[in-house]
Amino acid sequence: MTNMKDKIAIVGIGATEFSKNSGRSEMQLACEAAHSAVKDSGLQGADIDGMATFSMDNNWEIEVHRQIGGQELRFFSRTEFGGGGAIGPFAHAVSAIQSGQCNNVIVYRGMNERSGLRFGSGEIMSMNALNPDMIHFSHYFPTGFMTPASWIAMCARRYMHQYGATSEDFGRITVSLRDFASTNPNAFFYQKPLTLEEHQSSKMIADPLRLFDCCQESDGAVAFVITSLERAKDLPQTPVEIASVRQCALPSSRQVTPFYHQDIAQFPEFDAMADDLYGVAGVQAEDIDFACLYDHFSPSILPQLEAFKFCARGEAKDLVASGHISRGGKMPVNTNGGQIGEAYIHGLNGILEVVRQMRGESPNQIDNTEHALVTAGAGVPTGAAILRKH
Amino acid sequence: MKLSQASIGQDLPQLDIDITARLIVSGAIASQDFEDVHHDKAAANAKGTPDIFMNILTTNGLVGRYLSDWAGPDSIIKRIKLKLGVPNFPGDTMVLTGTVTAIENQTVEISFKGKNGLGNHVVGTAFIEPKVELND
Amino acid sequence: MSESHKELDLLRQKFVGQRVGPYYAWNKVSRTQVWQWCAAMGETNPNYLQKSDAVAPPTMLQSWTFRDVHGNYAPDSTDKNTYEVLGELDSLGYVGSVAVSYDQSYHRYLKEGDHVHSFSTIKDISDLKSTGLGEGCFVTEFAEYFDHDDQLCGDATITYLKYKPQQSSKTNRSETAPLKKVGRISPVENHDSKHFWQGLRDGKLLIQECSECQTKRHPPQPMCETCQSLEWQTIESNCFGTIYSYTAIHYPEIPPFDYPNVIVLVDLDEGVRIAAQLEGTQPEKIEIGDRVQAHIKEVQDGLALPIFKVTAK
Repeated sequence: MTNMKDKIAIVGIGATEFSKNSGRSEMQLACEAAHSAVKDSGLQGADIDGMATFSMDNNWEIEVHRQIGGQELRFFSRTEFGGGGAIGPFAHAVSAIQSGQCNNVIVYRGMNERSGLRFGSGEIMSMNALNPDMIHFSHYFPTGFMTPASWIAMCARRYMHQYGATSEDFGRITVSLRDFASTNPNAFFYQKPLTLEEHQSSKMIADPLRLFDCCQESDGAVAFVITSLERAKDLPQTPVEIASVRQCALPSSRQVTPFYHQDIAQFPEFDAMADDLYGVAGVQAEDIDFACLYDHFSPSILPQLEAFKFCARGEAKDLVASGHISRGGKMPVNTNGGQIGEAYIHGLNGILEVVRQMRGESPNQIDNTEHALVTAGAGVPTGAAILRKH
Repeated sequence: MKLSQASIGQDLPQLDIDITARLIVSGAIASQDFEDVHHDKAAANAKGTPDIFMNILTTNGLVGRYLSDWAGPDSIIKRIKLKLGVPNFPGDTMVLTGTVTAIENQTVEISFKGKNGLGNHVVGTAFIEPKVELND
Repeated sequence: MSESHKELDLLRQKFVGQRVGPYYAWNKVSRTQVWQWCAAMGETNPNYLQKSDAVAPPTMLQSWTFRDVHGNYAPDSTDKNTYEVLGELDSLGYVGSVAVSYDQSYHRYLKEGDHVHSFSTIKDISDLKSTGLGEGCFVTEFAEYFDHDDQLCGDATITYLKYKPQQSSKTNRSETAPLKKVGRISPVENHDSKHFWQGLRDGKLLIQECSECQTKRHPPQPMCETCQSLEWQTIESNCFGTIYSYTAIHYPEIPPFDYPNVIVLVDLDEGVRIAAQLEGTQPEKIEIGDRVQAHIKEVQDGLALPIFKVTAK
């Protein structure tokens, strides 16, 4: 990974409310978020000439682009692998702007994942035999092995076995996230903190994952406007530079069934990316002030803390227990409450929170916000980035 | 089976019940439930279901039979709590299973489930005591 | 407050907490009616069927004071209708009706000659909820059953869902469509994987092996990732292996599986990892490292799968 040439930044953010039933179409949600991101950035719809999203998003980029007042679209791209696609669109936007293909890109995701198709229900997306999902999941669905919780449970079980972690260690992560959520008015669990006892008595979903280890299912949309740091100087908002970004898939990676790594207690895609990301951004783990780590399930936070060298292998549970990632800790993680506490917008609501923190606009504002680490889905081909306040 | 010999974790033997139109209709009539969806296929269709389906009291009666077949005729059913899920339609089979989940003093708590081809028809908990004095 | 919330509030004010009754049974508890019930249910308990002094199955409780086939209550009953609230909900569009839960306590078994009457109280009308059947509210009724000496013999809490039926692809089953059991999802069998599924139907667990470099692989793929050869053969697994990881799935319960549904990742002795179901061991007794053996089982027409059992700790 070579150095970033021209610097690229997030200059606009937009979001709808997060809910269990939006009462409107995914398209409307996406348009609302994208339009408010454009307004926030100080640009016009006509300035937007690039669009990037997840392959799972049901809203065509040309439809959203037209409705927000876009003219010619010079760049559009999608990223595969569910929540693993939360960083890819930013990487693509950076590349597209740096290579001169376009100037101003919207990254967006709008979904009715609670009132529409719920990923946790075990209902499948398509029975089409030519669909790569169906070819892939054929080795799991016929046994009833059909939900993200059950797949990631395999990794969590292995992590417990290798490092002596317990369900209570997972619970401490949830308690920390619910604490942040309890003071975030955008969060589903606003004013609803959770105790470790309540976590421990919540029902088992897929052993060892309990109900409160699982992220929510949510309706909502989030969007960002990305442009060059040069251009950002003329725009009203504090720019958030994408100091380094990349994606990663390994030969042993699979679509959300990460069973074929030598060691599934880890998500080795994160280990593979860490040095590159730190190197290009010119920082070390100790320079990271706070993070947005993908929390579809609470135990997934642990190997990410290790991969990015916040502690040694197997010691993340002790780091969590020490309060390091919680309110008042040295490196708070998911200060919005995460996808467990705030909402599940496929990872983008966490990145939104990072931008808010760097602008000084978070409901859980922390003091040091120079550098943040953000990650996309765990257990899938994924991506990560380091963001820097300007 | 002596109820006093029950132990926590013990499984009740499975009971398969063929769901026939005859069972649904005779159960509805025996429980004095004359709602048309339990005996009139055309009326059931008009309300959006593909066939007549079992009424809750028949489900309740079958659960009672399942419990007393296992616990013995002199046992006393004190309480049945149940939740209904998917309907029992003719042509399906409901498989009743149960497990002893607690024993407190002499009261045996049983978790039971009736599952058919569409999913869980009924899930619940029952409390049974051994006979003391049958009436009064 | 929205219109529908106001309407429900009015219904609450009108109905909740009002105890209505008595509703009398048309007949005393009789052996004939008990026999008819037992015949329908397949009930053989001799205490219910003896020639004299028969007791009634406790589960009959609610049926004694039901209306007759024409919808009439027995003489001397109150002329108030417990179910008036359900009718009012019908007129608001919540025409769907389904009993969703039932909680009955039996204080004493009824016997031949008992003459039952009941009282009924609407305990709660919930706020509007989105349910799988459509938008609706839950109505909870509490019923008390007394004998002719006014002694309480049983009570029941019954919850009904009153809903606006929705026309979605999920719930709308065509009138004429045959009732289809929900089976396991069948795998896609394509050029790359058909041998695997056919092998299972033939009772064999087949592992792909590269013809050039002998690297084994699973799940199937057309090209060897080690030497890029497209030539491959299969070897038959001896079906022995070691548990690498496992989960016991409790929720959601998806037909047609039994729960908890235990899934294991097994490192087969041949050197590949496979995901499959495990039977015969309680989840809490399973440990990583347990030795397992698979047998191939036809789980539904045309679909055979390896099912593992623990053979040694």
